[in-house]
Amino acid sequence: MSWNFETANFSVRLPVMDEDGPQLFELLKNQNAAAHIPRLAQTVDAQALDELRRMTMRFDSREAAFWLVEGRFDKKIFARMGIQHINWMMLNAQLVWELDDELTDEGVLEFVPQLLEYVFAALKLHRIEMRLKPQQERHERLLTWLGFAKEGCLPAQLEFEGESVDLEVWSLLNPTPLQDLE
Amino acid sequence: MKFTPELTFDGGLVRPLTADDVDNLFEIYQHPEIPGQRVIENREHLQRMIDLSVQMAATQRGMMWLLEVNGESQGLVSIYDWQPSLLRATLRVDGLPTLKDAYRAAAMNACMKFMADKYHLRNFAYQWIDGQQDSLKVVVESVGFKPAAVLRDAWRTAETSFANVVQYHCVLDRAKPVPRKLGDDDELGQNVSANGVAGRGSVGGDA
Repeated sequence: MSWNFETANFSVRLPVMDEDGPQLFELLKNQNAAAHIPRLAQTVDAQALDELRRMTMRFDSREAAFWLVEGRFDKKIFARMGIQHINWMMLNAQLVWELDDELTDEGVLEFVPQLLEYVFAALKLHRIEMRLKPQQERHERLLTWLGFAKEGCLPAQLEFEGESVDLEVWSLLNPTPLQDLE
Repeated sequence: MKFTPELTFDGGLVRPLTADDVDNLFEIYQHPEIPGQRVIENREHLQRMIDLSVQMAATQRGMMWLLEVNGESQGLVSIYDWQPSLLRATLRVDGLPTLKDAYRAAAMNACMKFMADKYHLRNFAYQWIDGQQDSLKVVVESVGFKPAAVLRDAWRTAETSFANVVQYHCVLDRAKPVPRKLGDDDELGQNVSANGVAGRGSVGGDA
């Protein structure tokens, strides 16, 4: 398995700086896609180009990796997936995703397990966590289906639109003990 | 420029690290409190740590104080993972076995009060790692921390072993600072020796 892989309906691949700007902007200009993080939607297409540059730099410095999830047939970008804040000493990282409104739960479950499998097997990380605003029904449902466990809620982690935001912590541990990984 | 003040509390004080503290730090790190933490053998690392403590304070990334009780070095208080714009930071105390819980709590209180007064921090975190003394939980709860989450296997203790982390938070009931324009007041920045603000203890010297 490599960084890029395909499922029945999706191509999951690293972003391409010169090509993905417009499609990424289409995804990230939708406030729903980032409401659980929370983060403001993008408003001008230059932000997507900047985001692509940032993703490349973070990948090069081994602190993060991002994938775009593209429909195999219509070539639409349905999601951006990422692992960030990779701590190579503690072997943990944070999962982050922005999902298009048209992407179904079944669609998410088609590619996320493979991506997590890659993160655990190839990168040999031990713990993947996601932090998100409380009461995000869809995201909590997906995380539960993916095997994540809710660990608690950290108070006052950031300020968004004038409100102090708590963040829930969900995590998934590598099912294979570290000593058994090749 | 001085960034780290000396702060007093009943029975002791915390003060900035100086170049002469290598032996004090070496002794503290012969008694690691955290599971998996190695005993330090190289004193040069500690000299570098003292240098870093000044740089970190100057750039608002962290702050370190030596904790003294009755004139004797008994621990180290560290502020790290400082997020100035989010008004939060994480706190840690490394103490010698002789450090009493009451002094540990008093030192934490003094440092938190300074960070809240000076830098408007209002959210402090503390991580208790499975394997540490249970009494430390009582200490941090006495300071006002509450457990917020148990992070499974979030701390690596050895090549293939991990420990859970109980993450505590203390969110102060303080108003957030109101943004102002540069020059709106006579605040001279983070240089505590220049500000000379009363009620924060005497000002010590950085290394």
